[in-house]
Amino acid sequence: MGFRGSIRNRRARRRIDSSFELQLTSMMDVLVIILVFLLKSYSTSQNNFSSVKGIQIPYSKSELNPPDSLHLVITPEAMTFESERILDFNTTADLNTSKEEVTYAFKKGDLDERGFRIMPLFDALVKAKDKSELLRAKSQARDDKGAPLPFDGILAIQADKRISYDTLRKVMYTAGAAGYRVFRLLAMKREVM
Amino acid sequence: MLKRPSLLRKSNKKNIELNLVPMLDALITMISFLLFTMSFLTLVAVESQAPVASKSINDVVMKEKPLQLTLTLRSNEVEIWSPFERITAKKIPALEPGKPDLTQVHDALVKIKQQFPKETKIVFAPEGGVNYDILVSVMDTSRGLEPTDPPIALKNETTGVDEVVKNLFSEIVFGNLLGDS
Repeated sequence: MGFRGSIRNRRARRRIDSSFELQLTSMMDVLVIILVFLLKSYSTSQNNFSSVKGIQIPYSKSELNPPDSLHLVITPEAMTFESERILDFNTTADLNTSKEEVTYAFKKGDLDERGFRIMPLFDALVKAKDKSELLRAKSQARDDKGAPLPFDGILAIQADKRISYDTLRKVMYTAGAAGYRVFRLLAMKREVM
Repeated sequence: MLKRPSLLRKSNKKNIELNLVPMLDALITMISFLLFTMSFLTLVAVESQAPVASKSINDVVMKEKPLQLTLTLRSNEVEIWSPFERITAKKIPALEPGKPDLTQVHDALVKIKQQFPKETKIVFAPEGGVNYDILVSVMDTSRGLEPTDPPIALKNETTGVDEVVKNLFSEIVFGNLLGDS
């Protein structure tokens, strides 16, 4: 009996195997729709700027796609230049929510005597400028007169939307003093209907 | 004798089955590639030049006073004025403290642009306490023209043809980096 049963099972299995065919047409339809959607909404970026955890970026209607440049990130906790943390802000504890309130207050010694220039940022910017000028001097790319290409002095600033102009002003003043002439304030693209 | 079966019943057509597996492989590879290389965060930039004292401008004898359009952004109002009094100063009260009336500001700037279509610069002088978010929105308002705005024409000096101006005041300079003044 057992032998007969096993033969019957094997026959039945063979019958299923021979008749079973996976219907791929519907899956193809779905994949083609996904592909069309992805191709329609595909966008690449010319830069390596990425968002940082805890930062809320403002929205802008600007169409200017920023090319890669030196990158300063101002989060509620700290300031980061070219992925290197250069200073931490003072934070005050909020008694009601037991959370730390953002004040963007600079620590003692971070500002110069007049309170305009952010010293750790100034040092980092000057260092980056010197490095860039050294690389340009060694590079074979020259201008019409045969001199090395000048330092472009562009600084991309990605700041939290809650930051006050007072802090931003100090950042721009420091960058201006370090020889940076163009500030690119980064924002999220607002889709215009 | 049996009748010969009809030849019409015999068909040369075979059931052709399209092999979709390689196409499926290609589609999955393409979708994976697109998903991996796609940029989901679209960042844009609002550009601003650092103010520079230019000696060359001082050497040129100006025929008329410059406009030097200035926008002072306070928590309770926006003031649009010219230090050389080329325009009548206008104060636009905020909708609520810290929230400027962007529509009114934009309309006022469009009127000034109609008067001075060649002018592209605007000096920003915000108060220290103004939020970055508000600042970016006012910069947006000052830079671009909306489709609903009246067309502004400017004569192209090389061709002599009137051309429609696409931007409002696209060059933004922060005029008070050294403090409120």
